[in-house]
Amino acid sequence: MKFGKRLKQQIEETLPSWRDKFLSYKELKKLVRLISSAESPMYGKEDAEAEFVYLLNNEIDKFNGFFMEQEEDFIIRHKELQQRIERVISTWGTNGTKPSEAEYRDEMARVRKDMVNFHGEMVLLVNYSNINYTGLAKILKKYDKRTGGLLRLPFIQKVLQQPFFITDLVSKLVKECENTIDEMFPVQVEEEIVKEQREAITVAGKGIFRNTVAALLSMQEIRRGSSTYGHFSLPPLDLSDSDLIHSFQLNPPIPTV
Amino acid sequence: MEARPALSFQRSGASQLSNHGVSGGLSSSLPALSTHLEETYQKFPNTQQAHAERELMTRPLTHATCLPANNGVVGHIFSSLSGFSSDIHYSSALPSEKHSINSPFISQSTTNTAALPLSQSSNSLLPQSTIPSHCNKENSGSWCTDPDFLDFPVSTTVLSSQIENSSCSGSMRSEDFGKQNDWQEWADQLITGEDASASNWNELLVDNVTNLEPKMAYQVEKPCIAVLAQNQQLPSPSVESHSVVNPSSSANNAPAKARMRWTPELHEAFVEAVNQLGGSERATPKGVLKLMKVEGLTIYHVKSHLQKYRTARYRPEPSEGSLEKKLTSMEEISSLDLKAGMGITEALRIQMEVQKRLHEQLETQRNLQLQIEEQGRYLQMMFEKQKSGLDKLKGSYSDPENPPVPSDATNEDATNEAPTKSEVESSQRDHGNSGTGTVNAKSVLERSPQEICGQHKAPETGDLEKPETRVSESSSQQTSKRPRIEE
Repeated sequence: MKFGKRLKQQIEETLPSWRDKFLSYKELKKLVRLISSAESPMYGKEDAEAEFVYLLNNEIDKFNGFFMEQEEDFIIRHKELQQRIERVISTWGTNGTKPSEAEYRDEMARVRKDMVNFHGEMVLLVNYSNINYTGLAKILKKYDKRTGGLLRLPFIQKVLQQPFFITDLVSKLVKECENTIDEMFPVQVEEEIVKEQREAITVAGKGIFRNTVAALLSMQEIRRGSSTYGHFSLPPLDLSDSDLIHSFQLNPPIPTV
Repeated sequence: MEARPALSFQRSGASQLSNHGVSGGLSSSLPALSTHLEETYQKFPNTQQAHAERELMTRPLTHATCLPANNGVVGHIFSSLSGFSSDIHYSSALPSEKHSINSPFISQSTTNTAALPLSQSSNSLLPQSTIPSHCNKENSGSWCTDPDFLDFPVSTTVLSSQIENSSCSGSMRSEDFGKQNDWQEWADQLITGEDASASNWNELLVDNVTNLEPKMAYQVEKPCIAVLAQNQQLPSPSVESHSVVNPSSSANNAPAKARMRWTPELHEAFVEAVNQLGGSERATPKGVLKLMKVEGLTIYHVKSHLQKYRTARYRPEPSEGSLEKKLTSMEEISSLDLKAGMGITEALRIQMEVQKRLHEQLETQRNLQLQIEEQGRYLQMMFEKQKSGLDKLKGSYSDPENPPVPSDATNEDATNEAPTKSEVESSQRDHGNSGTGTVNAKSVLERSPQEICGQHKAPETGDLEKPETRVSESSSQQTSKRPRIEE
């Protein structure tokens, strides 16, 4: 139930339009329980498995569709952001058509904010892919365990080929985004200030940021140490400054609907 | 149920349709189809489930093909459904249906069985496509009682594509985007809210009756969506049979269904084509499609992409924008605090750090997961190999004249790079393991199938396997040796 709870938390924290795109882990778990406990002759094992597979396929299609949709959006927005930067430079930059330092600074600040949020959204999509995959792996494991079936291994192989799991492109865009941000907005880190301002971060209620924090912490929890550690379990997650990240996890002053 | 009134409409509509001179040999097929449509309508609602609960509890379907039953992306096409005959040109029949009272709805409903493209990319929904095989199956008439319905998404896709078709036909093209935006949001509402009520449905039906074509398309979608949102049943496969061939689309239906995975390179080509045509506002999907000259790209893909592109240009970073609107008041407060504390720069920096960290961990996790599965595959293969070896062992035990030498056989697999029968025989004779001459002869026989197995497996597994094989073989050899000694 740990994963289920974590997944639920993430879904609650996620961007509103994403809420129904996640794996229906709880329902699938119920189904597995149903199948394993009530093996009635009326509903043979093959039928139960067929239905289970059918539902899983539905979920996979849901993931694929949503993922590719978002991916397409990201491709477009990525290009647009780059063009926007060029436009700002060519308009308000020192060699631009209407050089203005103030405008340049303001526009660049906006671009920076948008880029950081864009980066966050992409990372959240990768997280989406990952958490759904993890959920599928878990539910398949449960199924095999409860019903003595051999569904997991071949099915998971199929899942690995699915578009939603192949996140290479989005990861590439994420890295490109990081590079652009590092180039355009080099940051001078001042350690003392960082520590002082930690508390101030708490007021940041940006959906994406909170999302990211939640996702990261969830991942840490999920991989804390499995009770059923086996060949297919992931090692515990090592986050060196998890305290810092924990401090980000705060309730917004105004509850978001 | 609410859908019932629609059914009666359909029948009359069908005949009306035929009266209106539907192209091709449609008139004869329409009545048959419309009856199926009735059933399909009943099934409809289930498709676009925003929440999985309902979906999960529906009857099992044998068909594994599914459309994503998500909020809007219905682009997923069923490759399993071979192209429906494009002879059915509903769209051409549509204008003439305007004049009949019930037909607009009915024709729409009959044709618009596709899923609702609820997202922005509704344009990409590919019309036609699908159906054929299912339609035929369903036509047998037994399917209403047959629990094996196609996945909803299929029908919903068809529906949406059809809706799109109707709206796209002829002069309506220009109104496309505006309308689709509208009904998308609206469809979104219905689906996610699951608010569609019976009264809505009926109301919409009534509305449809008097609507002119432009509104017709719009309205038609509503009832369909309402039905979708309302009912929990699976859409009948026959729904797909009503995919309409969009007159503006290319002749090829099958690729039209497939969901397109865009890449930056493809997008570059797209942008170039758009710029050549004078910008995103002036470019038309057809023109862009022609310029891009990409195999397998359909006008629907281009259409939906173009819409996304336009939205991105004129509302840069909308998601953050909408999020911002929600949090504006809080943000003002927070930004003040931040500025007092560290400034927006620092906040962004930290946000970036967290995001980067998450991404790193995700990549690591993904690689681990891949490795785990690979390992699992390997273990499975090893297990199977062992198992077949043990089976041989058991099989040999039943025959007293055939002392088992499976371990030897499998060991040979590992040691011989390219074992041949003759090689095996000779090595077996020389091999000291078996002990007796008879054993040698028998083991050769035993080995050959084993060799074949090993040969098949060896190329798959690669070098890693060999040492492992030897290790496991030797252990099994040990165990098999013991019984032999005892004998």
